[in-house]
Amino acid sequence: MSRATSLPPLSDVARLSLSVGRLLMESGESGRTIHEEVSLAACALGCDSAEVYCQHAAIIVTLRRGEEFCVQMGKVGEHGVNLRRSEAIKDTLRRVASGDLECSAAQTELDDVPHTTPSYPVWLVCLCTGLACSAFGRLFGVDWPAFFPVLVGAASGQWIRHTLIVRRQNNFLISGIVSFCSAFLAGLGARLLGSSHPETAMVAAVLLIVPGPAVLNTQMDVIEGKPNLAAARGLRVIYLLMFMTLGLVAAQRLILPGT
Amino acid sequence: MNNFWLHLFHQALFGGIAAAGFGILFNCPPRMIFECFGSGAVALAVRTVGQAADLNLGEASFFAALVVATLERVLQQFQSSRGSILSLVGVIPMVPGSIAAKGLMNLLALVRAQPSDEVLAATNGMRNLLEVTYTLAAIGTALAIPRLIYPRKTPQALL
Repeated sequence: MSRATSLPPLSDVARLSLSVGRLLMESGESGRTIHEEVSLAACALGCDSAEVYCQHAAIIVTLRRGEEFCVQMGKVGEHGVNLRRSEAIKDTLRRVASGDLECSAAQTELDDVPHTTPSYPVWLVCLCTGLACSAFGRLFGVDWPAFFPVLVGAASGQWIRHTLIVRRQNNFLISGIVSFCSAFLAGLGARLLGSSHPETAMVAAVLLIVPGPAVLNTQMDVIEGKPNLAAARGLRVIYLLMFMTLGLVAAQRLILPGT
Repeated sequence: MNNFWLHLFHQALFGGIAAAGFGILFNCPPRMIFECFGSGAVALAVRTVGQAADLNLGEASFFAALVVATLERVLQQFQSSRGSILSLVGVIPMVPGSIAAKGLMNLLALVRAQPSDEVLAATNGMRNLLEVTYTLAAIGTALAIPRLIYPRKTPQALL
């Protein structure tokens, strides 16, 4: 059988590559990881080379196979963090690389990934987020009376964030609203329970908004030679932090008027 | 001495809880939640020891992130589909979000500061933001070093 008939069409490989890049970007992976995974899939499907140009809102893939070449561009949706989704995508690519999965079957699997990836119940995510922020509070020296208010404030904030994300509200507005609500509840509870660190408790309660993986990806993209993507990520991080701070300051004016 | 060990245990415990909590928020696979806890605990323990040895926050965070990233690279299978989940979640408790918030709050305070308070607000704000930048650069560099020294195989080599 000739090479041309045994391999999938280059346009199908490009579509698969774009799906991989888009899903990984939306799941919070760095530019280098996306390049590696797309190259892995494309080379496994017979391409001689695969170049990926990642931007914050779009991905361009250029594939070469002998005399053929194909360039495709696709849009990227809202960036988030979803480690189980990343793992599912990489598992699919491993099977493509080992020859266990064909291009069309891999495309079907990838198209289903957003719907089939399991996730934790919302109540558990809210509880654990609250617990994580309370733990942050302890690391910053918040006293025990403020531990529970921070937990309640951050857990409530996560529930509000989940509700607003489902309704497709603007991410920056969500940050401001969640920051205000979390800080308000944590500060109010800390004051009522006699904590001596209500200000720090309010800061701890809004840390669920800090986009940690995006911050780290910004660093990695700079170091690994993708400054454009890093700049876009960095700008977005700064705006998220600004909205978070505005919500926090507004809550502090209400709870701690003298500060 | 006892106080130090108690403090170390406290920091490691709550660092682990923070990492595990954020692991669930990031939809980390359930079988890895305890590993996330361990990763966060190791990171905070190393950072606490570093700070006790008179390193500043950025330097201590650098060594903590380097230890976590190196451990993950050494202990994991080379082509594991887990990628860098553990190092990502492990260093999350060290991301200086609270200092960033304080820095931005100080800069906002500068807008309504009295003339006598302006220098203080500006100095505090700039100091906070510089500390954030320095610490984030340290963590990011430390996470990248093991990947650069011990890179993944190229696709051609994998096939």
